[in-house]
Amino acid sequence: MSEAGGSGDLSSRSSGAGCDRLSLPSTSRNGAVPQRKQQRLSGRHRPQASGEEGREPEVAEDEPGQPGSAEGAGDERRRRMIRNQYRELIYSVQQNREDMLSSKSNRLTEALEEANKLFSAVSCAREAALDAQFLVLASNLGKEKASELHFGMTAFDSLAFAEDLLTFMGINRIEKEENDGDSDCEDISGGYLSCNAWHKLGAEAEQYFRRAPSFHYMLGSFKSDPPVPRQRIERQKKTTGGEEKRAMPAQLKKMEESHQEATEKEVERILGILQTHFKNDPDTPISFFDLVIDPKSFPRTVENIFHVSFIIRDGFARLKLDDDKLPIIEPSKDSERREGDGGAGKRNQVVISLNHQEWKEIVETYEITEPMISSPLKNEDDMDTA
Amino acid sequence: VSLQQDFPGLFLQEEEEEEEDFVLNQTPTYTQLLAFLHPQAIELVQFLLVKDQKKIPIKRADMLKKVIREYRDVYSEIINQATRTLQQVFGLELVEIDAKHHIYILTSSLPRAEGENLCQNDETAKLGLLTVILSFIFMKGNSAKDSAVWEFLRWLRVKPGQRHSIFGDVKKLVTEEFVRQKYLEITPIPLTDPPEFKYQWGLRAAKEISKKDVLRFVAKIQGKDPTFWTSQYNDAEATS
Repeated sequence: MSEAGGSGDLSSRSSGAGCDRLSLPSTSRNGAVPQRKQQRLSGRHRPQASGEEGREPEVAEDEPGQPGSAEGAGDERRRRMIRNQYRELIYSVQQNREDMLSSKSNRLTEALEEANKLFSAVSCAREAALDAQFLVLASNLGKEKASELHFGMTAFDSLAFAEDLLTFMGINRIEKEENDGDSDCEDISGGYLSCNAWHKLGAEAEQYFRRAPSFHYMLGSFKSDPPVPRQRIERQKKTTGGEEKRAMPAQLKKMEESHQEATEKEVERILGILQTHFKNDPDTPISFFDLVIDPKSFPRTVENIFHVSFIIRDGFARLKLDDDKLPIIEPSKDSERREGDGGAGKRNQVVISLNHQEWKEIVETYEITEPMISSPLKNEDDMDTA
Repeated sequence: VSLQQDFPGLFLQEEEEEEEDFVLNQTPTYTQLLAFLHPQAIELVQFLLVKDQKKIPIKRADMLKKVIREYRDVYSEIINQATRTLQQVFGLELVEIDAKHHIYILTSSLPRAEGENLCQNDETAKLGLLTVILSFIFMKGNSAKDSAVWEFLRWLRVKPGQRHSIFGDVKKLVTEEFVRQKYLEITPIPLTDPPEFKYQWGLRAAKEISKKDVLRFVAKIQGKDPTFWTSQYNDAEATS
């Protein structure tokens, strides 16, 4: 028969539904406290079936002996909603602490205001306990925020640091990709990182470290055994190869000589053609393509280029680019020839590539109808010339 | 040429081969070094170089058991010789990071080379991640809660639950590999439920990078002067 018991009797009459009948002023929390205390006590006095603790998951047992009124069910739903909202609020504060701590954000204040709003609908101990839990969380955060103010004139803004890091790593700030489904409001800015973003950052960071480079043997750390069988195979191959080579030279010598002679002769012949043309018209340089291109035969063209390259190598002629950046060729004077032979002077190399298509195009563009270099005299190899 | 000046003993030179007396004040030449090196010291040098590949700190007990073995009575001289050799031949320093448990690491004692590092592999990327974490911890006052660290990393697109395209299992990398390498130290905060952890610099981090350098890094990224953060600046100055 304590006082608490007395007050319990009063409210137990309207036991489940009674919680919402009592309307509480939603002004300040201080005003609400003493009445809340009463509520809590009355709540405790209910039969044990309730077993209320603010953190328990939803169990639909806490209104025993409830008259099956629709109102009661609606209240229960509302209370469950409130509890859910509290839990969401608490979770979101926990997940976003750093964001709330940032001096730029007002989120802590906003969260407090939201909790205040929620609280206006609260009338039972269970929700109140959740509210208390949130208060603990918010005040811890507030304490941290305050201590950061203390900690030097400028607190460290980790959000800004993260943004600057992303910029350094080279983030592509374009529209968010479609598959970026999970990154909703958590990501601070849209865009994605390239695959060497972290490598770039690491390369910059390396300079600040006194890290010992990892030591690795260049050729691996084990002695290798395999080579022995391989050598045997190689030796066998060499013996057979040697015999072949011995057989070859006898034939080769013959061929090479004939080839070499043929080449030299050709080169001389072409040089003669070149010099004749130039003598007739000393001031006009000859277009390289006019000289070498044979409009009727692509292989002949390639051979011509081959022979002309000897002339240039030996310094008897020079390749230049004219004003239109097209190659021209002109015989070189005697004095210059010495330089070509020496080889100690400047050597320039040019690689010309010509395929069938290009050859055709040049024939068309330059309107070449006749080759400047006439067909060579027939030798034993050419069997099919008419 | 400059290499010759810094390490006169590095290359065998005709004249110096004739010098037999070991002058204590001079850096010993290469041949002198070899002549006076305990064979276990040479083995120890190789052992340390290989052990350092994974950046896991080396225990003195391991050195004694695996390399020095029966020469335990002169172990300190052997370690000294190994230290000198590492310094003179490789430019590496053998540093004791834990004097109580006798744990060592190798650091570089050469000034950092200018220019871009041409070898950029996964280790480089991991170092980037580590540096970011170390910076965060330092700027937050040398200690940070795990929830704070991971929230920060989330902003950088690094999420503990997701497999990262470069780091793979990030949670494992940070909480296991970095901790084993002694780059990070993670200790549980008592009386927290669910359990929360405190992230701090590990013993290796303290030897491989200074607070000043980290502050310089942060300042460079943010385009500010290090003195912008007063108390961190003072902290860094005090610890150098």
